[in-house]
Amino acid sequence: MLVLELIAQGLIQGSIYALIALGLTLVYGLLRILHVAHAALFTLGAYVGMLAADRTGSLVAGFAISMVVCGLAGVAMFRLCYQPLLKQPPYVALIASIGLYIAAEETFRIVFGPASLSYRSLPLQGQIAFFGGLQFKEAELLVVAGTALIIGVLGYLQTRTRIGVACQATVSDPQMAESFGISLRNVRDLNFFVGSALAGFAGVWVGMLNNMVEPTMGSVASYKALAIIVLGGLGSVRGTLLAALVLGVVESFGTIYLGKFLDRNAIAFAFLILVLMVRPQGLFGKG
Amino acid sequence: MVRNFRHAFIGAIVMVAGLGASAAGADIRIGINVPLTGFAATDGKSALEGAKLAVAQANAKGGVNGEKIELVVYDDQASPKEASPVATKLVEKDKVVGGVSGSYSGSTRAAAAIFQSAKVPYVVAYAIHPDITLAGDYMFRVSAMGEVQGRAGAKLVSTLGKKNVVLVTIKNDFGQALAAGFKDAAPKLGLTIIKEYEYGLQDRQFGALISALKADNPEIIYASGYFYTAGPLVSQLRAAGITAPIIGQEGYDSDKFIEIAGAAAEGTLITTSLDRDSTAPATKAFLAEFPKAAGFGADMVAASTYTATSVLIDGLRKTGGKGGEALKNALAAGKYETPIGNLSFNDLHEVNKDVQVQVVKDKAFRRHSVISDPVLLAAPTKAK
Repeated sequence: MLVLELIAQGLIQGSIYALIALGLTLVYGLLRILHVAHAALFTLGAYVGMLAADRTGSLVAGFAISMVVCGLAGVAMFRLCYQPLLKQPPYVALIASIGLYIAAEETFRIVFGPASLSYRSLPLQGQIAFFGGLQFKEAELLVVAGTALIIGVLGYLQTRTRIGVACQATVSDPQMAESFGISLRNVRDLNFFVGSALAGFAGVWVGMLNNMVEPTMGSVASYKALAIIVLGGLGSVRGTLLAALVLGVVESFGTIYLGKFLDRNAIAFAFLILVLMVRPQGLFGKG
Repeated sequence: MVRNFRHAFIGAIVMVAGLGASAAGADIRIGINVPLTGFAATDGKSALEGAKLAVAQANAKGGVNGEKIELVVYDDQASPKEASPVATKLVEKDKVVGGVSGSYSGSTRAAAAIFQSAKVPYVVAYAIHPDITLAGDYMFRVSAMGEVQGRAGAKLVSTLGKKNVVLVTIKNDFGQALAAGFKDAAPKLGLTIIKEYEYGLQDRQFGALISALKADNPEIIYASGYFYTAGPLVSQLRAAGITAPIIGQEGYDSDKFIEIAGAAAEGTLITTSLDRDSTAPATKAFLAEFPKAAGFGADMVAASTYTATSVLIDGLRKTGGKGGEALKNALAAGKYETPIGNLSFNDLHEVNKDVQVQVVKDKAFRRHSVISDPVLLAAPTKAK
């Protein structure tokens, strides 16, 4: 059934968007910074994951190493680039972020070469069939399952553990949180670490789904993730998730039925504009 | 007396300086615009290596009338915005006698206008948009135009005995020219285009498109793109269980396509200009020399840029290094034996030649067939 397949494909794409946008929304919620350079961590994750998986022969090791490296790189970005700019108006950090993304893209090209890299032996390519003639690659199913799992875990951690509650407190009222003994620096570092690790996680999946890792692969994600967090309502985690999935499905149908007039990104942004015209605060933003 | 002496002295200095300047600028300069950064960087690198090989080989044989050829290289990022200042620099600052395009259609179109108004001959390697040669008579193209290739694709479908086709077109100059040619020839050959899908240059995941295509159940798929879109596309098509043959074009013509698509690439057909199994001496020599010089295998982009550069150098040999109208006429009248075939230009400075069909077999491009149909594959002339 074509409709079912299109929805499924939309959810797969949406899961990837969700992983990337989630990190962005965590950073925005905490620091009101539009962290465009987040997409560079997506690309870094794809490179590191591929190289690690090829060298060690283990996909799990590839994921783990990639997530740790991206997490640390994200913290480094915060410490070196954003922290000194916290007292400046928000557009300063935004411009710095864009510059950082461009620099990162060029660095990848210089270090890894302009040509795309592919896996030596591509994992998780087996096919799994469902009723209704639906057929998916193992990797496609796992990315959706993985996303759901991670988001569930994060949600639990955020509401039911001390650290999670501390993070939420820091977002709502940093000064009060600090007076309760919460270390702002630790919370911020953790925030960037987790968000960046998620971007890296997404990067490994995309590298595997396409069997292609190239320096410019984050370019669409860099601005589309921004669109997603606006769509979901700036700062709302639940909103971001739902916006990502909805956008994936909208693109899926849009590219088929409107493909002659608009391309995928145009459809995404047209949808964003339509939603904002009706609900300026985004799908789940606080009015 | 003193004043005359001073004038003479200044005059002598100016003369000597002038001689010195012209002696320093004795190298023959040809310019090339290639995408060295950005999404097309891999093709740009390949193109540049092809051009460099042609220049190196020419210089080894003594250059042009004993003068060395210098290749002035600029990165245009495959973007029209970048190509315009690059072309202006080549023409005004570097004062090149001829130019080569090693870039895509969008950027080449922008540069073509500048070369034409400066009356500097511009030989285009693989950019296939029709408007490029329509920019004027200083433009030359060594590759078959997009529409011609599209018609060749339709002919290939008909030769394979298939009738129902689905088109998957990349939304840019390249894809649209190919699709136009295919749609032009299809009714004449009795083909039915069931559906046409389009995708953007930046798309790498085609889940929705493939789901819809599967429902169409075509006998054969004509998909345009570059190896970085075609690789994932073909891989995902096969993973979804679609077994219909896939015909690509020279955008697929790179070992990278096979690397990305892996086992899914087997059996993919492409219409291109480089025959890996060629017996022609120019082609065999190029296929042997290029990997030694560049460090990676030859592809269509390298072969056509090598050809464009060689054609330009050939013309320069005939004019003794002069550019302008003399070079234009020399190029127009020449007959060239190149890795991509025996070429000569028609009055629109397009080439008429056979189209090579290659197939991916055992992880490499091999000869499948040759499409030789002078009527169908005729390049447009000034009359049209």
